[in-house]
Amino acid sequence: MALRFELPSRLRDFMSLQYLKDAAESGDKEAMIRYVRLHFGDGNEKVGAQEIDKAWSEALKLMLDVPETDRQFILDTVGSQSPETLAHLFFQLHFYFVQRSGDWIHDGNL
Amino acid sequence: MATSNNTESSRSETDGQMRPGLWHVVNERYPGSMIRKDDAVELVPLAKPISECRVSFVSTSGVQPRGTMPFDTVHPVGDYTFRRVPSSSHPDDLEIHQLKYITSGANRDLNCVFPIQRLQELAAEGIVGGLTENFYTFIGYNMAPELLEATLAENIAEAVVESERADVVVLAPA
Repeated sequence: MALRFELPSRLRDFMSLQYLKDAAESGDKEAMIRYVRLHFGDGNEKVGAQEIDKAWSEALKLMLDVPETDRQFILDTVGSQSPETLAHLFFQLHFYFVQRSGDWIHDGNL
Repeated sequence: MATSNNTESSRSETDGQMRPGLWHVVNERYPGSMIRKDDAVELVPLAKPISECRVSFVSTSGVQPRGTMPFDTVHPVGDYTFRRVPSSSHPDDLEIHQLKYITSGANRDLNCVFPIQRLQELAAEGIVGGLTENFYTFIGYNMAPELLEATLAENIAEAVVESERADVVVLAPA
C-alpha cells in the first residue's frame, strides 16, 4: 500500500523551482544567475559571485604553463554524455576548483 | 519556523544569525517555503507504552554509511535520494556529505545531529522497545516539491512504516 502525502498548495505554487522554470522560459537570465550565485554563496549573492570568480581563477591558474592534458577524454566526454550530465559535471567542477583553491567557505563537505 | 510580518518577529528572526540577511533572502527568493505554525501535523497518541515501541529515526543531516554514494551536494535543484543507515552503526562507520550547515560539532560528536548512540542506549536500557533495523537520511536542500513527495516523503514513510514496522519515528532536521 503506497502512502500518499499532499504537499500544501502554498508550497507547490511558490517553491523556487517554479520560479526558476518561469525564469528559464521567459529568458530571465538575471534571475537564473542570481540563483546560481545564491547556491554557490550559501545564500549570499555577493559571495556566490566571488565563488564563481574563484573557481575560474583556479582553473585558469592550472592552464598557464600549458600542461599536457587529456583532450581526447574531454572531447569523448562532451561528445558522449548527455547535456544534463555535462551540466551536472559543470556544477561539480565548480566545487572541485573552489575546493582545490584551498579557500573553502562552505560549512560542510562535498 | 514561524513566519510573520510583525517587526518584532522579523527582528528576532535575524538577530544573532550566523548569516545576517539570509532570512530575508530566503523569504524573497522562496516565498512560502518556510514552514508556519499552522502547517503543524497533529500529534498521534501512542497505541502502546514507549517501552514497547520500535523507534525509527529520519534525519536531514546528510549522514550516510562510509562507502555509499555521497549525497549530491553540488546539484542546483537538490538530491532526492536517501540512505539507509543501519541503526547498529558506530559513528566511525558514518560520514556526512552536505554543504548547508556547520559540521564541525558533528564531526567531533555525530550524536549532536544524528543521535544514534543515544537511541542505541535508550533501546539497550529498555526505555524504548527497540530500534528499526535502519534509520533514514537525506539532505535538506531540495527545491522540487513533486520529487520531494515522491522519492523522499513517500518512499521513506513507506519503508519506515511497512518494512521497518516502526511505532514511533523521530524526525530531525540538521
